[in-house]
Amino acid sequence: MNDNLHERARRLLAESVVEGLRPADETWLREHLAECNSCAQNAGATQNALHALRTVPVSVPRDLAARTQLRVRLRAQQTSAAPGGSFWLWAVTAASWLLGVFSAPLVWRGFAWLGANFGLPKLALEFGFVLWWTVPPLLAAAIILHQKALTAEWSNKN
Amino acid sequence: MTDDTHALAIGLRQRDPDLLDRLIEQYQQRLYRYLLFLTGNPSLAEDLFQETWIRVLERGSQYNGKSKFDSWLFAIARNLVIDASRRKKISSLEELGDPESNTPYDPPDERASSVLQLLVSRENEQSVQLSLLKIPPYYREVLLLRFSEELGLEEIAAVLATPISTVKSRLYRGLAALKTAMTEGAA
Repeated sequence: MNDNLHERARRLLAESVVEGLRPADETWLREHLAECNSCAQNAGATQNALHALRTVPVSVPRDLAARTQLRVRLRAQQTSAAPGGSFWLWAVTAASWLLGVFSAPLVWRGFAWLGANFGLPKLALEFGFVLWWTVPPLLAAAIILHQKALTAEWSNKN
Repeated sequence: MTDDTHALAIGLRQRDPDLLDRLIEQYQQRLYRYLLFLTGNPSLAEDLFQETWIRVLERGSQYNGKSKFDSWLFAIARNLVIDASRRKKISSLEELGDPESNTPYDPPDERASSVLQLLVSRENEQSVQLSLLKIPPYYREVLLLRFSEELGLEEIAAVLATPISTVKSRLYRGLAALKTAMTEGAA
């Protein structure tokens, strides 16, 4: 029998299990396997390998599911407290930002008054004004990072 | 989106503990088997099993219900295996994403294989589990996903984050490698 036919049968055999065959190819393969012993043996070896792969039993360690469920519930409890904390942190940050925006004209006038009465250099006044805006969000960021570090430490311990 | 996956997506977004309990029970066999055969290390597979579910809890809101939950779950597990292999320098897994590398695959030693063998049923005399360990991990995982977990080609592509053509190519080569390994094992 022509080597090309065996090669075609080998290729179609692999295709049949990986992505399926067109009806015409399927018919050709079936007929070829019926009359070619070596290709039929190859088909048998493929089917055996797949059967073994599908049926290989693995024993899941005892209590693995229960231990995992417990760990997941603990983590859920631990992190469920966080959203409330985050909410208040964001609320305070938003309030602080709004207050900063609406009080900016007053603050600017306050700094101007300080400069006029105490003779402070303009650079110091501008720096103070910048700090007025940047310190609250920096503090909020520091708190958030601290909280995340604590959470990570807790999860590593557990 | 089916009703089932939609309900699952909502439950995961709400971090429903009862739903997670059910999913852990339901997927314990499949997920543990995938992790065990990917790592070849029972203790690491256990750790990664737990980590996978912690990730499911924490990233449940990212599951949109449009894809199958299985694919999403296995993708999480696979990423954890890759992270672990980088962290712990597990040589057998370092090439999980790089089958085109020219480095020949070095199968795990006899001791690792025997530990794994203890966990699988002795009834399976064909030693498919040992044959699996003899083939490179990037072929091993597509074979498991396709023929053991029965995922479709598109779903496997989603798990591996690779094109379908790559999945097919790995399946063809993996199948040939498995047959060779089983024939050598039987000889």
